[in-house]
Amino acid sequence: MVTRKISSEKLKELFGLKISGIAPELEASGIKYFCGDQRLMDPEEVADISLEFESLVVSLLGSKDPTDIQSPEFHALEFFFGSLSQQVLMRGGHVEDVVRYTQSLQLGLIDALSKASGIPFSESRTVLLYFTGIFNELIMAVFRAYLEERESTMQAQQAEIRETATPITEIWDGVLTLPIIGTLDSSRTMLVMEALLNRIAKDHAKAVVMDLTGVKSIDSQVSHHLIQMVRAVQLMGSDAIITGIHPEIARALVSLNIDFNNITTRASMSDGLKEAFSRMGITVSH
Amino acid sequence: MSIPGLHLTQIGRGDFLLDPSRSLNTRNGDQLVETIAARLLQARAARLYYDLSDQSLIDPVYYAWLDMLARAMQAINVRMICIQMQPTAAFALSRFLQEKPRFETALDIDGWR
Repeated sequence: MVTRKISSEKLKELFGLKISGIAPELEASGIKYFCGDQRLMDPEEVADISLEFESLVVSLLGSKDPTDIQSPEFHALEFFFGSLSQQVLMRGGHVEDVVRYTQSLQLGLIDALSKASGIPFSESRTVLLYFTGIFNELIMAVFRAYLEERESTMQAQQAEIRETATPITEIWDGVLTLPIIGTLDSSRTMLVMEALLNRIAKDHAKAVVMDLTGVKSIDSQVSHHLIQMVRAVQLMGSDAIITGIHPEIARALVSLNIDFNNITTRASMSDGLKEAFSRMGITVSH
Repeated sequence: MSIPGLHLTQIGRGDFLLDPSRSLNTRNGDQLVETIAARLLQARAARLYYDLSDQSLIDPVYYAWLDMLARAMQAINVRMICIQMQPTAAFALSRFLQEKPRFETALDIDGWR
């Protein structure tokens, strides 16, 4: 760690201060941005975070090198703002609320320190520059936490969409149904195939009915994916039955020269299920 | 009967189970096929179940071995059924397979029966 030369007298005085009891003065920023219409926090919580912030600032200013943004004291401050950002976002707040709070806290902190020490820090360019540098880093921490939160939300949503897009159901002992809805692209086919093959192994499924009623168009790549999926199902020792092929899809498959020789097809899901049941020796009567 | 890298066990009248181990060297394919075929002919086997439960990946080299064995089985009128193919192996195989394999597949022995 490099200890930088402290060039300003005011900065030296700042780093030599014994500060305490400034938390109540820092609460105003929290009250303004978190206790408004949105009610992201109650005043007691704001008092708690102000106290925690005061303690972290005191640690940083009293550290070996308060300008070192790699120090444990600075990392603790970053962590504080990251957690605060996550907390506010989870309660329905916006990243702007936390950024404005952080900016307001910077001004509030300089005022509180000036009042507590009697030294007009707001008139010192080096002190202002020092706090601007520190708070810019803290705002970055806020944005990092925001992006992480957004990323994890998006991943959770994508996982949910994937799950609902491949609703594999065991409709009878050993019979799985997979209605395919929407567009089948390479990545989705891989996901569907992975889920389907694992399910066959898990449930010991003897037949899979893949319903294409919800597929409105098909191209060369998608049709090959489909054939690949059927082939993989057959390789595992299950029967694959494709149902619900629209006339346009049938025409497209013919023009794409897709070989349906070893693939069982039926007009509708109900016919497909009847075929699966009959192969398993199950009779369904009305 | 133990063949280097393979265990061949009679599991019923005319039924044999071939269980490959990790030490299977498919480069000795010709010799392995000959030994297996000799044993099956001697026992008048009708079916050979090839257990793939420990094979997490089937690449073109391994598929060539399976295909060679399946062709030999066709020649001596023994049905070859690959059982317990793993999802990962089925996925990998389906990607490069251009035609229906010469062997049959089943979830397990009971599933085929």
